[in-house]
Amino acid sequence: MVEIRWHSRAGQGAVSGAKGLGDVVATTGKEVQAFALYGSAKRGAALRAYNRIDDEVIFNHAKFMYPDFVLVIDPALALSDNITVNDKPETKYIITTHLTKEELIASIPDLHDKADRVFVVDCIQISLDTIKRSMPNAPMLGAFVKISGMFELDYFLENMKRVLQKFPQKIIDANMDAITRAYNEVN
Amino acid sequence: MQDLKLKANDNRGMSQLEAGFDLLGWDEVTQGSVLPSFDGDASDIVNKKAEERTYSGFNSYTATVASWRVNKPVFNIDVCIDCQNCWVWCPDSSILSRDKQMLGIDYDHCKGCEVCVEVCPTNPKSLLMFNEHTDLEVALSEWPEKKKKEK
Amino acid sequence: MAEKFDLNDREVWDGNYAASQALRQAQVDVVVAYPITPSTPIVENYGAYVANGYIDGEFVMVESEHAAMSGCIGASAAGGRVSTATSSQGFALMAEVLYQASGMRLPIVLNVVNRALASPLNVRGDHSDMYLGRDAGWIQMGAFNAQEAYDLALCAFKVAENHSVRLPVMVHQDGFITSHTAQNVYPLMDDVAYDFIGDIVPVDDMLDFSRPVTYGAQTEEDWHFEHKARQHKAIMDSTGVIDNAFEEFEKLTGRKYNRVESYNMEDADVAIIALGTTVETAVVAAKRLRESEGVKAGVVAIRCFRPFPYEEVREALKNVKSIAVTDRSSPGGAMGAFFNEVSAAMYTSESRPLVTNFIYGLGGRDFSIDEAIRIFKEQQAHADAGHITTEIQQFSGLRGPHLGFFKTARS
Repeated sequence: MVEIRWHSRAGQGAVSGAKGLGDVVATTGKEVQAFALYGSAKRGAALRAYNRIDDEVIFNHAKFMYPDFVLVIDPALALSDNITVNDKPETKYIITTHLTKEELIASIPDLHDKADRVFVVDCIQISLDTIKRSMPNAPMLGAFVKISGMFELDYFLENMKRVLQKFPQKIIDANMDAITRAYNEVN
Repeated sequence: MQDLKLKANDNRGMSQLEAGFDLLGWDEVTQGSVLPSFDGDASDIVNKKAEERTYSGFNSYTATVASWRVNKPVFNIDVCIDCQNCWVWCPDSSILSRDKQMLGIDYDHCKGCEVCVEVCPTNPKSLLMFNEHTDLEVALSEWPEKKKKEK
Repeated sequence: MAEKFDLNDREVWDGNYAASQALRQAQVDVVVAYPITPSTPIVENYGAYVANGYIDGEFVMVESEHAAMSGCIGASAAGGRVSTATSSQGFALMAEVLYQASGMRLPIVLNVVNRALASPLNVRGDHSDMYLGRDAGWIQMGAFNAQEAYDLALCAFKVAENHSVRLPVMVHQDGFITSHTAQNVYPLMDDVAYDFIGDIVPVDDMLDFSRPVTYGAQTEEDWHFEHKARQHKAIMDSTGVIDNAFEEFEKLTGRKYNRVESYNMEDADVAIIALGTTVETAVVAAKRLRESEGVKAGVVAIRCFRPFPYEEVREALKNVKSIAVTDRSSPGGAMGAFFNEVSAAMYTSESRPLVTNFIYGLGGRDFSIDEAIRIFKEQQAHADAGHITTEIQQFSGLRGPHLGFFKTARS
């Protein structure tokens, strides 16, 4: 079982990101769950979204999890939210930031002893450059593909095109660029 | 006495609501207390007069409330102008009228409420209340004269 | 003729989307709705399917849930295949009309996405609304995940419209935990799903002008009781039709449903009996506890809350020593309603096991594997002691001092 926790703000697309990821993962024959803690949340409010991925049907419906991956798509939440809660010794962090990895870790005491498991990528800037607005979910998917090694990039891109098929071609292309750039830039 | 079965079909007013017979058990009542209004195919029922219709036992047409009445309205055809006011106002559809001609009262369903008398515009009124046991001829013989306007 | 909708063998759907696809495949004639969180997407999607030609039906937007169910009653009495969805306050406003639907024996399918009742206001899942409907004379089925929300909605039409049943059916799913959780769903192809349900064959339909009928008759003390008794008999007798529908569904899909589901119960000493998503979380906990500590833990789940499966519950739990009954609804001055049902079933068993009650998960409070394990262990302690060592009713997952009520008089 792989468990993923997204830290996001309402409107940044963590729920869509989690569902899109689930959709692609399901094509590999695995069972998935994608859900979020929201409801009456207003745009900008902090929220958490979740994925579970397993070879067998997923029975656990608890929100509580010990995540294998923590994906932070809002730069400020990395500092203000408790992103390391319930983590494991092998939990990997992918955090969106304009800072270097060293600068970011220096500013978050909880990450000091996890430096080898922290990865950074500027999802905000990448989405501004490609999608032309702040929509950090797609770049985070690219970074996740790279860090998790769960898929080949091309396989992921092909399937994301299917997930996004209801959108205009221009938007699909921009999302593909965003995913690819983040895949290449995450470190 | 007016014909008590004026324009009636065979089963009009045949059952007594108070009688308490035919109280079926739980296994015999209709599903969902849904009640069909007619026996047999009713496709053309709208084109038929009441006396030609096959009202079912569930239809209030087949029950009588005549005993609820203490006084009855009596209809005087000689005074009536066929204005249909009583037909419009009767709360129990008990005014029998055909082709806009007033014929009489459905005494199976009339409860004696006197609304028809109240709304009758003629002078004297063409409908008046009489004791239930008064004969038609007696009632008509006692019909008042036209009232003159008081000066 | 409706447009063809492209489906894959495997989709990633949340519970709401799954339920709306079932409505599309059933080609529901009329949906009358007043959308409410978290069930909104079910009727919203139906409206979109109608607008885009995927359903040859009618979406009627009304001004309240009371009007929504009233409209459903009209459409169903007219002879159509009818469905809607609601939650929480909307369900509460619908309550008066729910009794009319069942009393008139109208086969409406209501998708209930369970949500807490205010006050305080809350949009997340608990079973307060489901419990509010438990005496309304509707068949109530419970889905534990999105796949089941889809499967059971299809089964619901088949059961409701069966001429020996002719009762409305609610299909419940947990708000957000099921309704907004996307997961793998394996849908039937459109023609297979439709053929499974079949055409609706109306009974006493008001659009049959050759046989005009009265709906909503008034019956006083000389008739009312007999009609309600006949209605109760019908819902008690619906079990055979429900079982048959589940069997037929298994032949099509390999997915087998039972009015009572049992997991790891063959040799279980202790059990959690639950409704909704909690079932599956408890199953994971039972497996884990068996592996780690050898506690013989099992889970019993209610698929069909009404008619309540007393015999099947008694059979499933007859060899267990201690049972935790989990109620996800504020009991308001009593033991949980589900606890009362299970206790009634077990009181006439030979073994008369210990039965305890947990109030949990109100307003969507998380129910974790760890908490399920703790509850199992507590049942083991009762079983070892031979009597209930805590209060009979306790609150689980609550902040503040321990809260429990009512102690056993057995020792």
